[in-house]
Amino acid sequence: MSTTHVVDNAAEAHADDHDHGAPPSFFVRWFYSTNHKDIGLLYLIFAILAGVVGGAMSGLMRVELMEPGIGPLTAFTGGDIEAAKNFYNVLITYHGLIMIFFMVMPALIGGFGNWFVPIMIGAPDMAFPRMNNISFWLYGASATLLFLSMLAPGASGQIGFGGGWVLYPPLSTQGGPAMDLLIVSLHLAGASSILGAINFITTIFNMRAPGMTLHKMPLFAWAVLVTAFLLVLSLPVLAGAITMLLTDRMFGTAFFDAARGGDPILYQHLFWFFGHPEVYILILPAFGIISHIVSTFSKKPVFGYLAMAYAMVAIGFIGFIVWAHHMYTVGLSVDMKAYFVAATMVIAVPTGVKIFSWIATMWGGSIDFKVPMLWAIGFIFLFTVGGVTGVVLANAGIDHYFHDTYYVVAHFHYVLSLGAVFAIFAGWYYWHEKMFGRAYSEIIGQLHFWVMFVGVNLIFFPQHFLGLQGMPRRYIDYPVDFAFWNEISTYGYYVTLLAMFIWLAGVVEALVFRKSGQGRDNPWGEGATTLEWTLPSPPPFHQFNELPKIK
Amino acid sequence: MNRIALTAVFAALLTLFVFAEPSFAQEAASEPFAEIDRPDPTGTGLRAAATPVAEEIHSFYDNILVPMKLGISFFVLALLIYVIVRFNKRANPEPAKFTHNTPAEVAWTIIPVFILLIIAVPSFDLLFIEDKMPDTETFNYEASPTTEYAFENDFPASRRVVKSRHVEVRAIGADGSSRTLEAGDDYAVSGLGDEVVRVTLANSLPSGERLQIAAGRTRVGRKPVLGIFGRDQSTLVPAPTITLKATGYQWGWAYSYPDFGDFEFDALIMPEEQSGPELYRLATTNDIVVPAGETVRVITTARDVIHSWTIPNFGIKIDAVPGRLNETWFYTEHESTYYGQCSEICGKDHAFMPISVRVVSRDEFEAWVDERREFEGLEPMFADQELASNDEAGAVVAAALK
Repeated sequence: MSTTHVVDNAAEAHADDHDHGAPPSFFVRWFYSTNHKDIGLLYLIFAILAGVVGGAMSGLMRVELMEPGIGPLTAFTGGDIEAAKNFYNVLITYHGLIMIFFMVMPALIGGFGNWFVPIMIGAPDMAFPRMNNISFWLYGASATLLFLSMLAPGASGQIGFGGGWVLYPPLSTQGGPAMDLLIVSLHLAGASSILGAINFITTIFNMRAPGMTLHKMPLFAWAVLVTAFLLVLSLPVLAGAITMLLTDRMFGTAFFDAARGGDPILYQHLFWFFGHPEVYILILPAFGIISHIVSTFSKKPVFGYLAMAYAMVAIGFIGFIVWAHHMYTVGLSVDMKAYFVAATMVIAVPTGVKIFSWIATMWGGSIDFKVPMLWAIGFIFLFTVGGVTGVVLANAGIDHYFHDTYYVVAHFHYVLSLGAVFAIFAGWYYWHEKMFGRAYSEIIGQLHFWVMFVGVNLIFFPQHFLGLQGMPRRYIDYPVDFAFWNEISTYGYYVTLLAMFIWLAGVVEALVFRKSGQGRDNPWGEGATTLEWTLPSPPPFHQFNELPKIK
Repeated sequence: MNRIALTAVFAALLTLFVFAEPSFAQEAASEPFAEIDRPDPTGTGLRAAATPVAEEIHSFYDNILVPMKLGISFFVLALLIYVIVRFNKRANPEPAKFTHNTPAEVAWTIIPVFILLIIAVPSFDLLFIEDKMPDTETFNYEASPTTEYAFENDFPASRRVVKSRHVEVRAIGADGSSRTLEAGDDYAVSGLGDEVVRVTLANSLPSGERLQIAAGRTRVGRKPVLGIFGRDQSTLVPAPTITLKATGYQWGWAYSYPDFGDFEFDALIMPEEQSGPELYRLATTNDIVVPAGETVRVITTARDVIHSWTIPNFGIKIDAVPGRLNETWFYTEHESTYYGQCSEICGKDHAFMPISVRVVSRDEFEAWVDERREFEGLEPMFADQELASNDEAGAVVAAALK
């Protein structure tokens, strides 16, 4: 922020001198943690573990889809074809849930949000540190139930729930306790996120340093603020929907059972009233991170700061009134579809403002192509590609062709897997030295970017073609004519897998072969203007014992 | 190094996109229809269009959406390449400090709005065409030397014939061949919007030819892009004459034809030994059979969980939801077999409940219906009788006006 100048941070260098004692013992520090940075790190570790599991699941799916026929998955089911079919559906379901609830959200909001929002607004910690702790550990409980659910009996004598992450009834009212565990898991994840969101809103509204007005607040904090509102407003609706699902399953209610006066489509409205804001929950913090990185490495202040902030507010607001564009084929009336087409296309305008403002931030800058900047530029382009296919899909007339095909899969992986995930890696490298007190290897980081850039595009670009040719999604097996692009897509997975090992090598290199305590306060120079760069790397256990004053 | 690599990769992507997108280079000529349309293994465009609705989808996608998505992607790509080349730290060591440029900000807010409007107009048009059941009435007249014809404009107020585009006049030869007459040159329409619409031919028809007038608002098919570019190939699609009911279940489809008696049959996936490897997972044990040149109303429902009925070539997809009846329609003149696959996850065998539609001539269709009825122990419906037509109704109106 050009407007954000730290006047008084001299006290910071000595901040650790007057800490409230040394950090506590290992168990107390990491399990009873109330420190936003420790909790942030816990969230990051959690997200990495979830990402490994979710990524391994996509590997199983891609290997199975490499050729027509049912093959590789039978290795996990003792040769049982029927069990393999169910296992594939289980994989797509849990891959989606894990990547959304246990990878992207914990990484961007729980991880980077916890770590940097308090620092960026000049606060010593989150408003409710103990609530922060329970938010994290509810996530642990939620993940435990999710994994138990994978092992519990589902429909038709098979293991796990295989109905897609959307959990549409009546498919989700069939079958055994796998679904019940999943519902409770999502309840806990939702409660965790609501608590976290309340914490962020309170922190941002009440704990900004003197002079840090909302209109001077860094964009990442803005992004998390908008995201927190989306969470608070949308998750209760999901909670309502899955509670109705639970009572339909357990207590004989019939909210979604057409035979007894209910309506399966009601669930879809409720779910997507949550589900659409949810995709903005995943991407808005990414927008914030990208703004910081682009500004830092262009050595230029963010272009159109207020427009950038209010574009996110606008996206968040519109995100609540477009939900039924996920439901164009369920039999909505034509006037309803027409409304949702119009509302959905409106989102392209604030999103366009953001894309062009990032480019305008680079315009006239002195760009340094360090690793975080590579990810940010990759993000801008790939998010644009995902965005324009989104405009295509917004048209109900065309969606009658594309709905539930691989075109949709390609679209949302471009905005999430190549959007949100690129932003996560961008943030990882951007704040690496700040968080861990040691630099990353520039060579490994660049290699990671290039291999991953090729890999993910190789996975998902051909999926547009599969969708155009009409291949439905969530298919374990497909006609031989779809084989070619599926095979290419699977090769893309192998390349991406290699990229993940390169990333892991970078982590090991930094954590094992580099010494802590050599972190520079600000490795990026004049372009990095937010408050975290005024602190040592890593920052002291408690920062800002004397609040910084913002001019 | 990164600067060069980024530029090179982005430029390569740019080139790749242009060549990967066939519809971008290709003229929107209607491709000859293959015997059986299977997915193109290396295809990068939409499946061949078999219905006027699918033609419109192609036209909208190829002419509006593809230029939009490629144009915006290229524009952003080009800006990024420019910025990378021009404003890297070597080329531009001193960064500028500006943070505002009002004209640019106004431009990138307003221009996307206009782009969206250009998309929205044909998009709504397409949507309403897809979702409104065709209601075009067809009037047939006896061969006669007169030049004056008329029909009753008895549509609901919102669907009444009020424009000359709502009327199509054809001369039908003795051999059944059809010739579309040109408005203005060959005939004039008067009384549009009134209770009776009159069509006056410039010259009476040659003997042996008789007149057919189609009237209604359901004009579907390739139209000029943005109302300016290209030929109008749209036609008035007749009101449905056949209803097909599709009921999804785990894991197959049950079909019935309420207009043709109380019979229902199941269509399950055809085993690979019978279908052969090419059509495995597409072919079913029982094709749906419909006649070419007639509008089919499709209603869908389901017995257990949600399924979705689709034929990509027809450009339609409609969920089959327990407890609800959903409706859509298609009209095709191309006799062939078309395949679709269940498009809403429905459990273990979701990938194994395909959909197949065989489009045949009216005669073959009638023979098939009778065969089905015989199979169910019902009397034949069509054997030894002519199809009732509305010839008489048209003749009555014509006579009354004389």
